[in-house]
Amino acid sequence: MELSNELLQFTVDLCKQEGAKDVVVKAVQNDEHQIRFSNSQIDILKQWFCNTMDILATRGKHVKFLSIQTPSKPKIKAIIPKALKNLASEPKSILYWGIEKKHHTYPQYPELVDHEIGNFIDRAPDYVNAAIQSSIEVGSQKVAGVLYWGKKSTGVLTSNGNGGIYSSSYYRMTVRSFFDAESSGQDIIAGRSLQNIESKFIEAGQNSAEIAKMAVNGVQGNAGYYDVILSPTVAGNIFGELVFGANPLMILFGISSVGEKVGKQIGPENLTVSDDPTHPEGIGSYPFDIEGIPAKPTPIIENGKLVNLLHNTSTAKIWSLLGFIRKGKIGTKSTGNSNLGYIMTEGIGPRTLFPKPSNFVYNPGDSSLQEMIENSQKPTIYLTSNWYTRYTNYIEGTFSTIPRDGSFLIENGEIKQSIRKIRLSDNLLRISANVSAIGKNVPQIQWWEVRIPTFIPAIKVENCHITTATD
Amino acid sequence: MKVSRMNDGFDLVEYGVDFAEQHGASYVEARFINRYDENYTLRNGSVIGILETESLGVGIRVISDGGVAFGSTDQLTKQNLENTVLRVIKLAKLAQRKDPIVFSAEKFEETKWNTPVKQEFQEISKEDKLRFFKTVEKRQKREAGRALKNRLLYLDMLKDHKYYMNNEGAKIESTNSVISLFGYFTAKVRNRTEQRQLGLGAAKGWEWITEQNIEDHIIRESLALVNTTANAKSYEFQNPVDVVVSGEVAGIMCHENVGHPSEADRILGREGAQAGESFYRNLWEGDFQPGKIRIGSDCVTVVDDPTYSENAGYYLYDDEGVKARPRKLIKDGMLNDLLMNREFAARFNCNSSAASRAYAYDREPLTRMANTYMAPGDFEQEELFQDIQEGLYMKSFTEWNIDDRRFQSKYVGLECYLIKNGELTSQQIRRPILELTTFGIFQNVDAVGKGYFAPYGSCGKGDPMQAVSVSMGGAHFRIRNVRVGRGL
Repeated sequence: MELSNELLQFTVDLCKQEGAKDVVVKAVQNDEHQIRFSNSQIDILKQWFCNTMDILATRGKHVKFLSIQTPSKPKIKAIIPKALKNLASEPKSILYWGIEKKHHTYPQYPELVDHEIGNFIDRAPDYVNAAIQSSIEVGSQKVAGVLYWGKKSTGVLTSNGNGGIYSSSYYRMTVRSFFDAESSGQDIIAGRSLQNIESKFIEAGQNSAEIAKMAVNGVQGNAGYYDVILSPTVAGNIFGELVFGANPLMILFGISSVGEKVGKQIGPENLTVSDDPTHPEGIGSYPFDIEGIPAKPTPIIENGKLVNLLHNTSTAKIWSLLGFIRKGKIGTKSTGNSNLGYIMTEGIGPRTLFPKPSNFVYNPGDSSLQEMIENSQKPTIYLTSNWYTRYTNYIEGTFSTIPRDGSFLIENGEIKQSIRKIRLSDNLLRISANVSAIGKNVPQIQWWEVRIPTFIPAIKVENCHITTATD
Repeated sequence: MKVSRMNDGFDLVEYGVDFAEQHGASYVEARFINRYDENYTLRNGSVIGILETESLGVGIRVISDGGVAFGSTDQLTKQNLENTVLRVIKLAKLAQRKDPIVFSAEKFEETKWNTPVKQEFQEISKEDKLRFFKTVEKRQKREAGRALKNRLLYLDMLKDHKYYMNNEGAKIESTNSVISLFGYFTAKVRNRTEQRQLGLGAAKGWEWITEQNIEDHIIRESLALVNTTANAKSYEFQNPVDVVVSGEVAGIMCHENVGHPSEADRILGREGAQAGESFYRNLWEGDFQPGKIRIGSDCVTVVDDPTYSENAGYYLYDDEGVKARPRKLIKDGMLNDLLMNREFAARFNCNSSAASRAYAYDREPLTRMANTYMAPGDFEQEELFQDIQEGLYMKSFTEWNIDDRRFQSKYVGLECYLIKNGELTSQQIRRPILELTTFGIFQNVDAVGKGYFAPYGSCGKGDPMQAVSVSMGGAHFRIRNVRVGRGL
């Protein structure tokens, strides 16, 4: 069935008829493709059509979450009365404190679709092969990667009449080139617009191969304290972990290191980060959140100070109450980040109403990557990619992560040696406090290790702890 | 055994396989899954969310012109299935591979298998399930006290009714039930915090809660966390020292350092851009031959066994219809077996080891582990400590990671004790660090205990991520002469 305002209204009305007071309905029609490749050939092509509807129905603090596949009026009519029959006796949720009451209108949604996306399947395999070929021409032995693209229609309607239907599209590709088994490099492209897309694929193949080429003849790195230059990919993961913690639920669950840092300086003056659902190229952009609050940028870190957590209406009320109890202050408001779905990881764990980031956007700094390298007079390590970030303690921010692909030792302002088999074992807050330079170029990163779309430059951090495994 | 047609999903699978063959697919498989998932999330005794969902869908994978494609549909009509099949056949042709993909030849059956369940979780009322949490919360508060600040519990109960068919003779109906509990606890004592991730689970019904004393287990771990937070002290070892690890720590080491590098798709590069490759790739030239390459000492045997019904990764036929069997990945220290699906078995010129698993109907099957463990040896636990002058006993762990070739690993201890003069002491050691290679761990093992304990894990691999249920554990073992880093 086509996603329509009528279907959304029918669902909201039926929930109210069955005794719900607040209702949020989100329906999504998704048409996504994927190409996976390795050993310089396409391994598999995939297509997914999904048509789902998530519903939150409440009565006081009694909350029921429903998910309906391939929603249609008869199916919705069959499921909702049964599911909401005992709504008033559902356990009370401590996290539910209401949704947006004010009615909003939306003048003009930003264009989030490149209409070429519908025909992209005809060209995508050739572009993937062009990326592979461009890498091989630099000298790669083999090339692996993944390309996703898709178009989505999202419909939102609340019991207060907020919401609407909008469409969006995206693409993202990770390409990893190997000169030999241990000399590899990776590049990422991500966005909405397919303009000049072929040249972006070719460039990504080349960039990944150039890193792999530099990584050849790598030697075991030495443990110690170094200044470290984090590529946008690595910075997106490590700083993303920090900023992702600016979320009341993460703080309540004990998996945030910034719980006690609101209003405090956690980085240098030139570190400014926002959540921005209005970014035209942002894969996470939307015109309004799940409660129908119009999208707007929210500063999270401003001039190095943690200024905001991301809220929905419920968490804003909880924080206002806690603020009143602790400091006699009230007034926390939703930042328009309400979402309905998985809290932690897509496909795993509880699903409910919670604040979710859209796109993290870092302000550019004033250094090019080359300048960061040239200005490194102390031994410095340049990390181009990483994975497997894990914590000893989330609240402290004590973690380690493993560099992969090219890592390079810089001495006297020049890259001297490809190094490998090292680990960054440090602390998120210490790293944030020790930022010494921020790059000028701000690409969008989204891949395996950076789930929230993130516009982020290279970031240089002083005095990081590098460790190694012994035999 | 003949599989009876039970519902529309089964009919669609059979129709889809025939339809794909008629339209040019040289290979086709279809999986219908009816999934019921019920989960409970509570923080400090209060409900965060309760969710009951049911999903239905068919996933189809084909080979056509040597290319592979996968598609799925949740709209279970003949027309939609035909459209899906025609689309995936078209997609497979677009791959235009130089080397066509072929699958290994296997024997297939028409059969059924079920998880042995005594008490279906759907038959337990919501009130009874919440009563379990209430009791746990009451005991945690009473026995672990105020120091246990944050108590997050997530109980998931998942039941898959699946029908798998391929065009080479496999028709397999299965009902698989997995119950798992994830705990995330934070203790705070004198401004110091420690955190514990606890994973428990099994291919069982609700009876698992009582038969395995899950409530007691949670309480024991809660108390241990509080004690560790209050008493553990940083300790500088005179390295190298001997280390004894518990079944829990043995499990994560066997999973990360042995199980993952044994995945044939990684060895041959298919996960190159995601989960990475394997250091095994460089260990031999030509055909793989069991028993030729030393990974560990003589006393190391690591097994991955999907057929062990007590554990969470239980299955009897994989998602390519191949009959499951235990895989002795390392036997007496020597590399012995690999985790194979049919595509990579063909490349290794052997048979699949039935390691192909898909997380859901809309995911392609990948080469995965099931229940990975250190096979028990002959030593009583106390004997493992007996001749250690000074060493570490690591009972549980916090932070861990490993490089994407699965060789450079790190395990940070949580509940850890000093071993002194051949005896386990009560002195707790704060966050000791084992940053060792795979050879560094397993080639220095000189004794393996008798016991067996295997926690639950949700193993992530693939893109999109597929988190499948596994268990990982085994026996205690002793590692000689390794460096233990000092935790702060």
